[in-house]
Amino acid sequence: MGGSGGTSSGSGVHADVEALKGFHEALVRFRHVQRSVAERSGDEIEMTRASLAAKASHWQARLDQSQAEFDACRAGPGADCSGYARAVEQAGEWLEHIRRWQQRVDEAAGEFRGPAGAFWDLLQNDLPRAESLLLALIADLQAARRVQAGAS
Amino acid sequence: MHTRPDRDGEEQLRLLGAAWEEAAQHWRDEVARQFDSGHWTPLVQQSRTYLDALRALMDLLETAERDTEF
Repeated sequence: MGGSGGTSSGSGVHADVEALKGFHEALVRFRHVQRSVAERSGDEIEMTRASLAAKASHWQARLDQSQAEFDACRAGPGADCSGYARAVEQAGEWLEHIRRWQQRVDEAAGEFRGPAGAFWDLLQNDLPRAESLLLALIADLQAARRVQAGAS
Repeated sequence: MHTRPDRDGEEQLRLLGAAWEEAAQHWRDEVARQFDSGHWTPLVQQSRTYLDALRALMDLLETAERDTEF
Protein backbone atom coordinates (compact mmCIF):
# COMPACT_ATOMS: atom_id res chain seq x y z
CA MET A 1 0.00 0.00 0.00
CA GLY A 2 2.89 2.32 -0.68
CA GLY A 3 3.64 2.76 3.00
CA SER A 4 1.25 5.70 3.25
CA GLY A 5 -0.15 4.48 6.55
CA GLY A 6 -3.54 5.30 7.97
CA THR A 7 -5.09 8.72 7.93
CA SER A 8 -7.91 10.10 10.03
CA SER A 9 -10.29 12.55 8.41
CA GLY A 10 -12.24 15.28 10.13
CA SER A 11 -15.34 13.06 9.97
CA GLY A 12 -13.55 10.32 11.89
CA VAL A 13 -12.79 7.99 8.98
CA HIS A 14 -9.60 6.08 9.59
CA ALA A 15 -8.21 4.37 6.53
CA ASP A 16 -5.34 4.15 4.10
CA VAL A 17 -6.00 6.35 1.06
CA GLU A 18 -4.07 4.12 -1.32
CA ALA A 19 -5.88 1.01 -0.09
CA LEU A 20 -9.25 2.68 -0.69
CA LYS A 21 -8.14 3.92 -4.10
CA GLY A 22 -7.09 0.40 -5.05
CA PHE A 23 -10.40 -1.01 -3.94
CA HIS A 24 -12.31 1.73 -5.77
CA GLU A 25 -10.44 0.96 -8.98
CA ALA A 26 -11.18 -2.75 -8.52
CA LEU A 27 -14.88 -1.97 -8.07
CA VAL A 28 -15.01 0.10 -11.26
CA ARG A 29 -13.21 -2.64 -13.18
CA PHE A 30 -15.55 -5.25 -11.71
CA ARG A 31 -18.61 -3.29 -12.88
CA HIS A 32 -17.28 -2.91 -16.43
CA VAL A 33 -16.20 -6.53 -16.79
CA GLN A 34 -19.42 -7.90 -15.29
CA ARG A 35 -21.49 -5.79 -17.68
CA SER A 36 -19.55 -7.36 -20.52
CA VAL A 37 -20.09 -10.80 -18.92
CA ALA A 38 -23.83 -10.14 -18.77
CA GLU A 39 -23.93 -9.04 -22.42
CA ARG A 40 -21.89 -12.03 -23.57
CA SER A 41 -24.20 -14.34 -21.63
CA GLY A 42 -27.14 -13.00 -23.61
CA ASP A 43 -25.17 -13.58 -26.81
CA GLU A 44 -24.41 -17.18 -25.78
CA ILE A 45 -28.10 -17.87 -25.18
CA GLU A 46 -29.04 -16.42 -28.57
CA MET A 47 -26.25 -18.34 -30.35
CA THR A 48 -27.41 -21.63 -28.85
CA ARG A 49 -31.03 -20.85 -29.74
CA ALA A 50 -29.99 -20.06 -33.32
CA SER A 51 -27.90 -23.21 -33.54
CA LEU A 52 -30.74 -25.41 -32.26
CA ALA A 53 -33.19 -23.71 -34.61
CA ALA A 54 -30.86 -24.42 -37.55
CA LYS A 55 -30.56 -28.07 -36.50
CA ALA A 56 -34.32 -28.38 -36.10
CA SER A 57 -34.79 -26.88 -39.55
CA HIS A 58 -32.25 -29.29 -41.02
CA TRP A 59 -33.93 -32.33 -39.45
CA GLN A 60 -37.39 -31.12 -40.42
CA ALA A 61 -36.20 -31.00 -44.04
CA ARG A 62 -34.67 -34.48 -43.66
CA LEU A 63 -37.93 -35.75 -42.20
CA ASP A 64 -39.97 -34.23 -45.04
CA GLN A 65 -37.64 -35.73 -47.62
CA SER A 66 -37.61 -39.15 -45.97
CA GLN A 67 -41.38 -39.10 -45.70
CA ALA A 68 -41.70 -38.24 -49.40
CA GLU A 69 -39.34 -41.08 -50.35
CA PHE A 70 -41.21 -43.48 -48.11
CA ASP A 71 -44.54 -42.44 -49.62
CA ALA A 72 -43.13 -42.86 -53.12
CA CYS A 73 -41.83 -46.31 -52.23
CA ARG A 74 -45.17 -47.39 -50.83
CA ALA A 75 -46.94 -46.17 -53.96
CA GLY A 76 -44.95 -48.70 -56.00
CA PRO A 77 -45.87 -52.35 -56.28
CA GLY A 78 -44.38 -54.81 -53.72
CA ALA A 79 -41.19 -52.92 -52.90
CA ASP A 80 -39.40 -53.29 -49.54
CA CYS A 81 -39.83 -49.85 -47.96
CA SER A 82 -38.48 -50.71 -44.50
CA GLY A 83 -35.27 -48.69 -45.05
CA TYR A 84 -37.30 -45.58 -45.89
CA ALA A 85 -39.53 -46.21 -42.87
CA ARG A 86 -36.45 -46.38 -40.63
CA ALA A 87 -35.14 -43.11 -42.08
CA VAL A 88 -38.47 -41.42 -41.34
CA GLU A 89 -38.43 -42.75 -37.80
CA GLN A 90 -34.84 -41.66 -37.15
CA ALA A 91 -35.38 -38.17 -38.57
CA GLY A 92 -38.51 -37.80 -36.46
CA GLU A 93 -36.70 -38.91 -33.32
CA TRP A 94 -33.83 -36.47 -33.90
CA LEU A 95 -36.24 -33.64 -34.58
CA GLU A 96 -38.12 -34.40 -31.37
CA HIS A 97 -34.82 -34.62 -29.45
CA ILE A 98 -33.75 -31.21 -30.70
CA ARG A 99 -37.14 -29.69 -29.91
CA ARG A 100 -36.90 -30.98 -26.34
CA TRP A 101 -33.54 -29.24 -26.05
CA GLN A 102 -35.02 -26.04 -27.47
CA GLN A 103 -37.67 -26.19 -24.77
CA ARG A 104 -35.11 -26.86 -22.00
CA VAL A 105 -32.95 -23.94 -23.16
CA ASP A 106 -35.97 -21.61 -23.25
CA GLU A 107 -36.98 -22.67 -19.74
CA ALA A 108 -33.45 -22.29 -18.36
CA ALA A 109 -33.05 -18.87 -20.02
CA GLY A 110 -36.36 -17.82 -18.49
CA GLU A 111 -35.32 -18.95 -15.00
CA PHE A 112 -32.01 -17.13 -15.43
CA ARG A 113 -33.79 -13.81 -16.01
CA GLY A 114 -34.46 -13.40 -12.26
CA PRO A 115 -30.88 -13.46 -10.97
CA ALA A 116 -29.63 -11.74 -14.14
CA GLY A 117 -32.06 -8.84 -13.66
CA ALA A 118 -31.15 -8.46 -9.99
CA PHE A 119 -27.44 -8.50 -10.84
CA TRP A 120 -27.89 -5.98 -13.66
CA ASP A 121 -29.69 -3.71 -11.20
CA LEU A 122 -26.76 -4.07 -8.81
CA LEU A 123 -24.32 -3.12 -11.57
CA GLN A 124 -26.39 -0.15 -12.70
CA ASN A 125 -27.43 1.27 -9.31
CA ASP A 126 -25.84 -0.22 -6.19
CA LEU A 127 -22.26 -0.39 -7.43
CA PRO A 128 -22.10 3.23 -8.66
CA ARG A 129 -23.43 4.29 -5.23
CA ALA A 130 -20.72 2.30 -3.47
CA GLU A 131 -18.10 3.79 -5.82
CA SER A 132 -19.36 7.32 -5.07
CA LEU A 133 -19.19 6.67 -1.35
CA LEU A 134 -15.60 5.48 -1.66
CA LEU A 135 -14.65 8.50 -3.77
CA ALA A 136 -16.14 10.80 -1.13
CA LEU A 137 -14.17 9.00 1.60
CA ILE A 138 -10.97 9.22 -0.43
CA ALA A 139 -11.49 12.95 -1.01
CA ASP A 140 -12.19 13.39 2.71
CA LEU A 141 -9.02 11.55 3.66
CA GLN A 142 -6.91 13.43 1.12
CA ALA A 143 -8.20 16.74 2.48
CA ALA A 144 -7.35 15.61 6.01
CA ARG A 145 -3.89 14.58 4.86
CA ARG A 146 -3.31 18.05 3.35
CA VAL A 147 -4.42 19.67 6.60
CA GLN A 148 -2.06 17.43 8.58
CA ALA A 149 0.81 18.16 6.20
CA GLY A 150 0.14 21.91 6.48
CA ALA A 151 0.10 21.76 10.29
CA SER A 152 3.42 19.92 10.58
CA MET B 1 -9.13 -16.76 -26.74
CA HIS B 2 -12.78 -17.52 -26.13
CA THR B 3 -13.56 -18.06 -22.46
CA ARG B 4 -16.95 -18.69 -20.96
CA PRO B 5 -18.49 -15.52 -19.53
CA ASP B 6 -19.20 -17.20 -16.19
CA ARG B 7 -15.48 -17.96 -15.77
CA ASP B 8 -14.53 -14.35 -16.48
CA GLY B 9 -17.17 -13.27 -13.98
CA GLU B 10 -15.81 -15.64 -11.34
CA GLU B 11 -12.28 -14.38 -11.90
CA GLN B 12 -13.38 -10.76 -11.51
CA LEU B 13 -15.19 -11.57 -8.26
CA ARG B 14 -12.01 -13.27 -7.00
CA LEU B 15 -9.92 -10.22 -7.91
CA LEU B 16 -12.41 -7.88 -6.25
CA GLY B 17 -12.39 -10.04 -3.14
CA ALA B 18 -8.60 -9.77 -2.97
CA ALA B 19 -8.82 -5.97 -3.36
CA TRP B 20 -11.39 -5.82 -0.56
CA GLU B 21 -9.18 -7.94 1.73
CA GLU B 22 -6.33 -5.55 1.06
CA ALA B 23 -8.46 -2.46 1.72
CA ALA B 24 -10.08 -3.96 4.82
CA GLN B 25 -6.65 -4.45 6.41
CA HIS B 26 -6.17 -0.68 6.35
CA TRP B 27 -9.73 0.42 6.95
CA ARG B 28 -11.11 -0.56 10.32
CA ASP B 29 -13.63 1.90 11.60
CA GLU B 30 -17.39 2.28 11.85
CA VAL B 31 -17.68 3.49 8.25
CA ALA B 32 -15.85 0.36 7.11
CA ARG B 33 -18.26 -1.83 9.07
CA GLN B 34 -21.23 -0.01 7.53
CA PHE B 35 -19.72 -0.37 4.07
CA ASP B 36 -19.18 -4.06 4.71
CA SER B 37 -22.77 -4.76 5.77
CA GLY B 38 -24.46 -2.25 3.46
CA HIS B 39 -22.49 -2.68 0.26
CA TRP B 40 -19.83 -5.37 0.30
CA THR B 41 -21.75 -8.33 1.74
CA PRO B 42 -24.86 -7.80 -0.48
CA LEU B 43 -22.57 -7.35 -3.49
CA VAL B 44 -20.81 -10.66 -2.86
CA GLN B 45 -24.05 -12.51 -2.14
CA GLN B 46 -25.79 -11.24 -5.26
CA SER B 47 -22.73 -11.82 -7.41
CA ARG B 48 -22.50 -15.39 -6.07
CA THR B 49 -26.18 -16.07 -6.82
CA TYR B 50 -25.83 -14.64 -10.32
CA LEU B 51 -22.58 -16.43 -11.15
CA ASP B 52 -23.90 -19.78 -9.88
CA ALA B 53 -27.00 -19.37 -12.07
CA LEU B 54 -24.84 -18.30 -15.02
CA ARG B 55 -22.52 -21.29 -14.63
CA ALA B 56 -25.49 -23.68 -14.57
CA LEU B 57 -26.93 -22.02 -17.67
CA MET B 58 -23.63 -22.12 -19.59
CA ASP B 59 -23.23 -25.81 -18.68
CA LEU B 60 -26.71 -26.44 -20.05
CA LEU B 61 -26.01 -24.54 -23.29
CA GLU B 62 -22.81 -26.54 -23.84
CA THR B 63 -24.63 -29.80 -23.20
CA ALA B 64 -27.43 -28.78 -25.57
CA GLU B 65 -24.91 -28.16 -28.35
CA ARG B 66 -23.02 -31.38 -27.70
CA ASP B 67 -26.11 -33.53 -27.35
CA THR B 68 -27.63 -32.37 -30.62
CA GLU B 69 -24.55 -32.94 -32.80
CA PHE B 70 -25.31 -35.73 -35.23
